[in-house]
Amino acid sequence: MASHNAEIRGRSFGDRVLFGLVILLALAMAGPVLYVIALSLKDNKELMVDPHSVFHMPYTIKNYIDTIGTSNVFSWVLNSFIVAGGLTVLTLILSSLAGYGFARLNFPGRDVLFVIVLLGLAVPEQAVLIARHQIFSWLGLHNTYPGLILPGLSSAFGVFLMTQYFRAIPKELDEAALLDNASRFRVFWKVLLPLTVPAQATLGIFTFLGAWNDYFWPLISATKKEMFTLTVGIASTQQNFAQSQGIGFLMAQAVFAGAPILIIYLFFQKYIVTAVSGAAVR
Amino acid sequence: MADAANGNARRAKSVDIYAPQWRNFLFVAPYLFIFVAFLVFPLFWGIWLSFHKADTFSSGPFIGFGNYARLFRDGIFLQSIWNTFYFVFLTVPALALIGLFLALCLNRQTRSAAVLRTLFFSSSVLSVTIVTLIWRIVYIPDMGLLSMIYGFFGAKAPAFLSDPDIAMIGIAIATVWWCIGLPMMLFLSALQQIPQDIYEAAALDNANRWQTLRSITLPSIKRTFVLVVIIQIVFQFQLFGQALLMTKGGPNNLTRPIVLYIYNTAFQRWDLGMGAAASEILFLLILVAAMAQFLLTRRKADA
Amino acid sequence: MTASIDIKNVTKQFGSLTVLDELSLSIPANEFVVFLGPSGCGKSTLLRMIAGLESVDSGEILINGERIDNQPPGQRGVAMVFQSYALYPHMTVRDNMAFGLKNISVERSVIDARIAEAARMLEIGHLLDRKPGQLSGGQRQRVAIGRAVVKEPKAFLFDEPLSNLDAALRTRTRIELAQLHQRLKSTMIFVTHDQIEAMTLADRIVVMNNRKIEQIGAPMEIYNRPATRFVAGFVGAPAMNFLPVKIRAEGGLVVAESGAGLRIATAIPAEGLADGDYELGLRSEHVRITQPAGGTDEGVVDVLERLGERTLVYVRLSDGQQIVGSDSGDSRVTVGDRVGLAFEGAKAHLFDATGKAWHSRESGHG
Repeated sequence: MASHNAEIRGRSFGDRVLFGLVILLALAMAGPVLYVIALSLKDNKELMVDPHSVFHMPYTIKNYIDTIGTSNVFSWVLNSFIVAGGLTVLTLILSSLAGYGFARLNFPGRDVLFVIVLLGLAVPEQAVLIARHQIFSWLGLHNTYPGLILPGLSSAFGVFLMTQYFRAIPKELDEAALLDNASRFRVFWKVLLPLTVPAQATLGIFTFLGAWNDYFWPLISATKKEMFTLTVGIASTQQNFAQSQGIGFLMAQAVFAGAPILIIYLFFQKYIVTAVSGAAVR
Repeated sequence: MADAANGNARRAKSVDIYAPQWRNFLFVAPYLFIFVAFLVFPLFWGIWLSFHKADTFSSGPFIGFGNYARLFRDGIFLQSIWNTFYFVFLTVPALALIGLFLALCLNRQTRSAAVLRTLFFSSSVLSVTIVTLIWRIVYIPDMGLLSMIYGFFGAKAPAFLSDPDIAMIGIAIATVWWCIGLPMMLFLSALQQIPQDIYEAAALDNANRWQTLRSITLPSIKRTFVLVVIIQIVFQFQLFGQALLMTKGGPNNLTRPIVLYIYNTAFQRWDLGMGAAASEILFLLILVAAMAQFLLTRRKADA
Repeated sequence: MTASIDIKNVTKQFGSLTVLDELSLSIPANEFVVFLGPSGCGKSTLLRMIAGLESVDSGEILINGERIDNQPPGQRGVAMVFQSYALYPHMTVRDNMAFGLKNISVERSVIDARIAEAARMLEIGHLLDRKPGQLSGGQRQRVAIGRAVVKEPKAFLFDEPLSNLDAALRTRTRIELAQLHQRLKSTMIFVTHDQIEAMTLADRIVVMNNRKIEQIGAPMEIYNRPATRFVAGFVGAPAMNFLPVKIRAEGGLVVAESGAGLRIATAIPAEGLADGDYELGLRSEHVRITQPAGGTDEGVVDVLERLGERTLVYVRLSDGQQIVGSDSGDSRVTVGDRVGLAFEGAKAHLFDATGKAWHSRESGHG
């Protein structure tokens, strides 16, 4: 529906109905989140006595203070940050190098290897999980940062993206640099890599987001409490709902967990949306 | 034609900068090592495991298709396949249609549209564990948000997570809430690629809104629609976190998807061989589903 | 710096397609050589082989007597200006020019001095801190040349550098390139399909067609004594007129007779010429427009092109063939007029069925 058309015909009854529907959906969207935030601002005991008290005053930030004092949220956030950050940096490096290699250089078996890497895109996580788990047990990689980073590093997505991006750069730049006596690595490092910044941003965001929100693998690999990532940690608090430290406190933890990524989202909206849409289109 | 006086020293071959060289392999070597070690090898090792009675320590004795046979005799596994298909059937059409609806409504330059788009996409950046936490709270009987809303109208809320008939629907609703952002965004970018002059031509031809939608807008985004459906089918087939955390697969195994079954089998009962067999079956189902969808629409396009 | 370049029996194949076939060529130092030819004739491939961007399948390329085809591009001592300029987009002009020298660890002071000198020569001093994206096409081209100059190469290679410029800029740049050659006194190889560029810039032109060298020579020699029918038709605008003729010998010289009975006496020696089909070639400036009965033949004017200093008159003969003749700039001829054509037989060329050319003993020198 082009807005052009809407202007021609003016607001009709149908328009209002649609508008109403969208608003309803928006409320359904925001409602649960607002509810959670409201809960986090209520005293636990008050909630147990009367759940409806969430809708009115008094509100308190006691749960947040308690969280800062006693919760493990921060260690979880730190672990997630190390894993996601480490994976992102390594992915950018490895994918850029491999992308350049596949796009610009020739070596025996290059085309066959590229097809094999592409096929890797079709493999879902579950097909390799169990074997990975067993292998990592033998290598003693469980409950370590490398153990959480390495599986994600094998994803073919980054290589695919970077290869496509390198291919789009005119070959004359390479040739001019070679005539300027640059080694193949220098051509990569000084001439081509700086031109791939948009792709790096997209890949970086997508990788970071994927690692930050990953659940299954950390669940089975980071089994010790001190290695919990954020997703696993938050899930662990859900075990005994009512008996736990109280719903308000739980919700404050959830807010702490969700806030970083939501803030990043609000700031980097454009990049994130491009990254995720671009990634999905593969 | 080298000068005889210069001898053989100069007889080196001409330089070809595009010729294959082993040296260039160094650029892809680091990634390829990781790729082979942690994707290719586990892929084949998993297939190998599925033919053995394996546990965490070793691959155990070879039992051929024993695991697969046991799987198909396991009522819970068969139930999980059914559950997964049911779940995909619940979520994918909803995601595609609601996503399309939102994209159509919000495809304008106004400030409010931009705010709403941000809102609808924001849930997608949350992790599954936060989403389940939120929705469990919403679904709590007598105390949760849903109960309170129903209570406001004087009714009793459906017990989404404990009622066997609607438990999967409860998970589906939470999932649609979580995943709606991506389909909406994909449709938006498809809509924005439709040239404006087609709409102007339609207006000159006196097409009303519904006709424009049906004859111009929808055909133009058919490709994207197929893409969205395929992506969502593949993604929702892998349902795990929501089922594990919201219902633990119950009640009566009615919300246990295949991936949760794999988790139970491999990482709670430690029967790695059977878990591996189940994951191979899942892999196959995903491939078949995605390909079938793709070919189906191809065939329709040719017809 | 300057150097001689020798190309010896060079062959190049892309798969089963032979792009260059046993080509040999010697270029003395300081010469401005133009590789001229239509698209696909192999001229760019040959240039890239000298640069090292294409491999040599057989044969050798030497600079100053030393073999270079077994050396990587950067070490050959040549610099290239690409058709698309290939400037590094994220670097400033200064860094673009310094890149090559930095890669071989030249001292900073030397780099700065050379950049300053080249910038002065090419008038790009005020652009040194800008990025290529902020420059106009002409400016980018100068930077590309500057990047080459700074390396003080043994030879400059230009790959159709003027094609991306508009007409006015092209003319100006042609002149500047000629001046650059005078100043630097370097060997320059220039590839183009534009015969005007070739004629105006070259010391010698290498005319290439279909994988082979058709002719090598100074511009006026190419123009006045084209070695093959291809060269005759390719060089010179408008293209040379070709008339199918039969020949006779008269007084030791060739007399040509066209199908319509026209008789044109030439100054071409008849010895060694066998019977057969020939073509007579005459440039438009050697076909004058006269009164209808005053010339060798007559016809009706089809098209007129007024160039200012002369007028090109396209005349259709009675047998349907079209001939281009010249008249003065203020010619009164109009389309549809019946005019006479006076052929200057002494300036005619003869081409046999294989395309080989035969000329009169003396040809006019430009």
